[in-house]
Amino acid sequence: MAELKIERKFDANRKRHYLNDSLTVLHCHHYATLFTQLALDAKELVDGTQILKESVEDVFFNVLSDYYKKNGITDTNERLNIAAQMFSAIGMGKMDIVSGDDNGGEVDMPIAYVDEGWVKKWGKHKGPVNFIGAGYVCGMFAAAFDKPVRTYKATETQSRVMGADKSHLKVTA
Amino acid sequence: MAIDREKVIDQMSKVSAEANEDGLIPAFNVLVNQWPAKFWNEFSKRMVEAVDDDIKDAVEELLINAAHECGYHTGYGIITSKEWEAIVAPMVEKTEDVLHGAYAVFTAWGWANAEIVELVPGEKMVVRAYDYYEADIGEDYPGKKAPRVSAYMIRGVCGAFMDLAYGGKYDSEGKTGLYTFRCKQTKGIECGDEYGEFVTVKSEAYE
Repeated sequence: MAELKIERKFDANRKRHYLNDSLTVLHCHHYATLFTQLALDAKELVDGTQILKESVEDVFFNVLSDYYKKNGITDTNERLNIAAQMFSAIGMGKMDIVSGDDNGGEVDMPIAYVDEGWVKKWGKHKGPVNFIGAGYVCGMFAAAFDKPVRTYKATETQSRVMGADKSHLKVTA
Repeated sequence: MAIDREKVIDQMSKVSAEANEDGLIPAFNVLVNQWPAKFWNEFSKRMVEAVDDDIKDAVEELLINAAHECGYHTGYGIITSKEWEAIVAPMVEKTEDVLHGAYAVFTAWGWANAEIVELVPGEKMVVRAYDYYEADIGEDYPGKKAPRVSAYMIRGVCGAFMDLAYGGKYDSEGKTGLYTFRCKQTKGIECGDEYGEFVTVKSEAYE
């Protein structure tokens, strides 16, 4: 199974960080969880959680699709595996792919960054908060199976933030 | 000024952001992530665009406040970290040096190539950012000019850094100190200006 190749670069002129030629920025769990909280808080004004999921989905769909193209990865299992490795490499936690085909699948997260950050800041929550993780999974499946974004929906059926030992997402097309 | 800004940027930018076996990146007393800058911009842009003009300010306040609270806690994490102790602390002679050092770390993290251009201790700070990822939002608009200044993260963090410097003892619950200061963005590269400019004053003086 292919290993993810990661090249880190800091442009000393523009003071910008890159991962594999993709512009990145270092932020912290406070910002990720506060973005998530504001998405929830904004519900009287706008569907913030949906915007959050879709923003993540679109961005990572492009990042992963570019990676597969540049590295000639066409096998769908390999693509899913690479995406799981990238999930960890960028600090999103740990992902185990339980199953996956072009109809969807299931994904476990024994460690989920947003959940860990939320619990660290505020303790447990009554419902799932990992909209960022869910968006990543949707983008990951769309990129793996060469489908457009919004093809997949990821539903969290158990969550670390609610006290489960791992988060579990069901992915459906 | 005692801070060797370029040395701090050079050394802090090299601090390892590699994930551990749990897929987490603990550093500077926080859990770091290294995500595409595009994500942070897309969410902000879409949130503001999704609402009518009369409530855009309210959505923008939410974005700024998220950064302000983050900047307060992360800023404290940075200035009490072993990385700071090793690289910046030896250069610090007074409170204002802590602020200058913090902006060097701010730059090293890729938030913005930014520096303090005016500082009235305890009262006012003016920061200029000569390049920042939030300015890339402008690329998505006609003529590559955004209709509104959009550096919500920099605004929030400016307020937070002044809170940490002059807002009293750090409060991990954020009940005191946080929001002692607030920041307005007066220029933006995303709107066609040469640099971004951020003016931070005490909250009671903020308009």
